[in-house]
Amino acid sequence: MTDAQPPALRVLVTGASTPLGRALVTRLLQSPDTAMVLCACASSEDDITQAFRDEPRVRAVRCDLRRERDVRSMLFGPARAHKINVLLDGARHRSIDAEGPRVRALNVEATRELLHLCERHESIERYVLLSSAAVYRADGQSADVVEEEHPLDFRADAPQWRRDRVEADVSACVRMGMSRLRIAVLRLAELFDEDCGSQFWDYLRTRVCLRPMGFDPMIELLTVDDAARAIARALRGSAQGIFNVPGADVLPLSKLIERAGRDEVALPGPLLAPLYALRRRVTRLAFRYDVNRERLHNNCVLDGRRAKAELGYEPVTRVDFGRVPLPIE
Amino acid sequence: MTTLTRSIGRLLVPENEANRLANGDFVDAGHGYDVFGSSPAWIAAAEWALSPLYRRYFRVESQGIENIPAEGSALLVANHSGTLPLDGMMIALDVLAKSSPARLPRAVLDHFVPQLPVVGPVFARMGAVSGTRTNVKRLLEQGSVVILFPEGTEGIGKPFSQRYQLQGWRVGHVELALRYRTPIVPVAVVGAEEQWPQLARLSVHALGIPYLPIPATLLPLPVKYHLRYGAPIALHERFSPESADDPEVLRVAAQQVKEAVAALVVDALAARRGVFR
Repeated sequence: MTDAQPPALRVLVTGASTPLGRALVTRLLQSPDTAMVLCACASSEDDITQAFRDEPRVRAVRCDLRRERDVRSMLFGPARAHKINVLLDGARHRSIDAEGPRVRALNVEATRELLHLCERHESIERYVLLSSAAVYRADGQSADVVEEEHPLDFRADAPQWRRDRVEADVSACVRMGMSRLRIAVLRLAELFDEDCGSQFWDYLRTRVCLRPMGFDPMIELLTVDDAARAIARALRGSAQGIFNVPGADVLPLSKLIERAGRDEVALPGPLLAPLYALRRRVTRLAFRYDVNRERLHNNCVLDGRRAKAELGYEPVTRVDFGRVPLPIE
Repeated sequence: MTTLTRSIGRLLVPENEANRLANGDFVDAGHGYDVFGSSPAWIAAAEWALSPLYRRYFRVESQGIENIPAEGSALLVANHSGTLPLDGMMIALDVLAKSSPARLPRAVLDHFVPQLPVVGPVFARMGAVSGTRTNVKRLLEQGSVVILFPEGTEGIGKPFSQRYQLQGWRVGHVELALRYRTPIVPVAVVGAEEQWPQLARLSVHALGIPYLPIPATLLPLPVKYHLRYGAPIALHERFSPESADDPEVLRVAAQQVKEAVAALVVDALAARRGVFR
């Protein structure tokens, strides 16, 4: 008796036009067992089809994930036709300032709808949600090392950016074991790169970085390369559950500022909120102190042992701090 | 300013000691720090800076350091006293100075300490961690030596009249020992109980502190510290990991540890020639 070969990967990717999405598609295509990558694009398929124009295994489909009818048409149209067996739910608004019902429709309602429809889909067997370490509470009362069972940030006064991520994460978690789908939720550490919605990327984009006086928390950064590798492993695997995806760079905030070649100024906490609000106005950078206040005070480092044991993922790629550009002055 | 601070810091770090510690049971998370924020360079600098306190001021003497396993996890469980946790600091310095290969002792702090400005990060750099179950579990699983005070703030804040009387003894250390198959090394600290008598405790809770102690003297008294490390108690060889959920097992085992610490305290008290000698 011989072991049955795993079925070829036929994956539907939402959020494929982001830097992470592209890196993931590229990585998936490196493997001969990837038979099809169907990319759901919000506005135009051109970007994806241009980027992978010589690759017959990549197809793009136009779909506004905020519209239930579009989602249904995509899943029971092209996804059915291409016999998609795995879905990656990775589309979220990256801008921390994006708010309102339309934003929520993409961040949360699309996830619910995708889950609901995948459960009825004849070929989709696996659902992987891209979540974030931002869902965890980092209030100083909790552990420095964050396991998957760590408390989530359910505060009603949290910004929508965080509330939406928590809600989407929980929406997927509650279906685990209740559905025929094999569900995996990946909670990624801070994805540190341009156009990835990284708050610390923006934090480091001025010559002088302000930090809270008397505090120097450990910061964890994840590269796009490592994130894509972790996601690819999750898509190919069958493990169900929640998995932290840690990064290879864990260092104190002061060291991070030093590595990026910036100068630091430590100021009392109450001064930082107005100064960073002013900085936002002047530089148009997206870093928000109110959203990151706890991260600038408390350790919050992901424990990646479950991902290592069940997905075979370990972070290896270090951040190139020299790539962080200064803003136009 | 920052560059100046960093340059001074580099000058203060004894390189050889930092290398010795880095080659011990330190788990580097990639940039010379572990996931809790501890760093061999910082520990070596703290060792150097606190050395006069350890060697000259408190003249720490210890017996039984060989009872700490040379490798693998261990829980050092001690009596707690002295208004400020100088007893934990002296145990840590003693283990650092006398263990070979180097063991980096990880003191477990009450939840409010890591949230204190300056104090929290400095303690973290020196290897202390917040006392959450996940933190301690992680340390034990990676084979660290963890210092625990089951009396908590009740022990450190007790009145002078109750010196050398063990206070409420929590059972968490036993649960950890059973679940993570770790030996408990009982430790007696003699001297700390007289170092800084308290006049009063003010009901101040700023920054999460449980109270504000008012000591009788401006500085701690130059008492002589006597540390005794007892024979390891291998509770995990008598009880299964599942028994960590049995309250009766925990109560009985914790009582055994408490009695072992109390016996060491009695021995050390009987052996010392005076508070300052």
